[in-house]
Amino acid sequence: MLDRVLATRSLLPEHDLSFLADAPVIFHCHHFNLFLDQTIDDALGVEAGTALRTRAARDASYHLLSSLNRKLGLVTPAERLELAAALFAAMGHGRLEILTQATGGEGRGTWLHYGFAWHEKYGQAVRRRFPADAMAAGFMAAATEVAYGLPRESMQCTETACIAMRAPRCEFTFKPGKAEVPEIDVGTAQARAVVRPSFTGLYEDKIAAIAKGLRDFAGGVAGDERGLVQAFGVFVTLHLSTYYNRISYDAWNLVRERSPASLPVIEALLRESGHVCVFNTFGGILLSPEWEGMVGKIQGDPVEIVSGCTAIGRALGFGHWTLAELKPGERLVLRTPSTYESSYWVTREGPAQQGMCFFVQGAALAFMQLAERVPWTQRPKLTQEFYVELFRRGVPWSVKETKCIAKGDMACEVVVQKT
Amino acid sequence: MSDTRLALGSLVKDVGGIRALIITVMPDCLMFDAWKHEQEPFEPEEVASYFGDLIRANREGLRALSSQGEDMQVTIEAGGRLVVLRELPGDFVAGFVMQKDTPLGMVRIHVKRILERLATVLPSFKPEERPKGVRVLDYLRRYAPDPHAALLRVSLRTGLPMDVLNAPEALTEAQANVVASTVRDILGLEELHV
Repeated sequence: MLDRVLATRSLLPEHDLSFLADAPVIFHCHHFNLFLDQTIDDALGVEAGTALRTRAARDASYHLLSSLNRKLGLVTPAERLELAAALFAAMGHGRLEILTQATGGEGRGTWLHYGFAWHEKYGQAVRRRFPADAMAAGFMAAATEVAYGLPRESMQCTETACIAMRAPRCEFTFKPGKAEVPEIDVGTAQARAVVRPSFTGLYEDKIAAIAKGLRDFAGGVAGDERGLVQAFGVFVTLHLSTYYNRISYDAWNLVRERSPASLPVIEALLRESGHVCVFNTFGGILLSPEWEGMVGKIQGDPVEIVSGCTAIGRALGFGHWTLAELKPGERLVLRTPSTYESSYWVTREGPAQQGMCFFVQGAALAFMQLAERVPWTQRPKLTQEFYVELFRRGVPWSVKETKCIAKGDMACEVVVQKT
Repeated sequence: MSDTRLALGSLVKDVGGIRALIITVMPDCLMFDAWKHEQEPFEPEEVASYFGDLIRANREGLRALSSQGEDMQVTIEAGGRLVVLRELPGDFVAGFVMQKDTPLGMVRIHVKRILERLATVLPSFKPEERPKGVRVLDYLRRYAPDPHAALLRVSLRTGLPMDVLNAPEALTEAQANVVASTVRDILGLEELHV
């Protein structure tokens, strides 16, 4: 069955955007996932934050599961729920038991990515007092809606026990509710309508070759017996970009309405989620035996690091990132005709007044930190302690999104400079 | 480390196995003075505040046990070191960092001897407590899992601008209370003892 699921994967090849059964997907690590969820809760409060995250997961998952069931021709609720649980594990999100009917029911989770990774990363330092697995909750709610042909956005789900709170497993309850008005899906056609004509940049041949090799490698990645993907020193998920975009932009919109003075603060934290992700995951890939086998042992040359990171971004489905300018020690200009963020923003929000690709901003900033501040020849371990020590006093570089497709430009362009 | 405010080097010169002596002043957990072996890589200023927090946490623990005493001593054995923390008169805490293989009996003798010497050189004053906002945000920086982003998180949660949080000594009492409540939530604590 999973082979048939994987056969529904597609790519906008000149734009490096990936889709699974029409739903946009990308690879992201636990550092990004946890920090972004935390930022949403910081912005809205835990209760409203959890509600938004659950709604976003249900929204994005419904698009994926309904498209997938149509493509695979699955009919019965049992086979649809079975597929959902298997897919969730294959994507690296953990193991689910979905025990629901059209009237509601229960769900259970073990090794759930969010709860487990939170416990691993923060559990010794902080006691968590609320559940972490809105993604699993929303996913199971959508799976139930799709399985029983219920109105979209109608199934309510609450996580009642969570491994991040030291429970032995995660538990969920479901009940039908009033259906919300669905948002327009951001699928292949919408992304195709938003992206700009593609172009190339510096070191293109090298970047394209590495990106292709990495994409082929990533295509075979699937959850282990726990339903987790543990690689390159991080927990990796194949995730739904609509989830990330909806929680980020709904929270951003709410902050703009309620507390506009805090807008720069949430933007800085959204950038930081990209920064922590790229620093750890891209850095982990560059230091990995797989990279050494495919590209060669990393030497620490800034051009090597930045071009390598650009290729990794493409392979993970973040867009057709190109290098427009690179002056080691001084300046980087990253330019792209496609980002998963702008596809969503233009489709659901319309024209923007400013650059909205906060992930790309944080990612580009991290490129230069990896290039300039990591002693590669010493083969450092990219631990939480290393990260905190390096950035405790801030980042001595600035970043600005000078162009954005969301505000009508022909590309998204991010400039990073030493301060 | 050469000369210090209390000339600690001369106090410890004949103490076998000692690697550092750090004097913390309470309740702000700031370093008052320190001596360390020249081969020790750590920064005493960073260690001093944790030693102060440890004493405070143990005081709270003993209070919960209804077992408060005047002569509390905390002993920690880990990572090739033996650490002894001892409260001193005048709101000071002495932190002795010893080699782990130093016999415990010898450590007790050394600690007792140095404490007697310290008692003759420590100043007697009532330290001025720093404003609550300063203490709370210092605590956050010490314990937040992502300290580089901690202040941004407080700003987003409270709505207080970053320039206000960057001058915590000027926070009003109401602002300081909101910040304290937020820090408690971020750290997942029932109570915040600062």
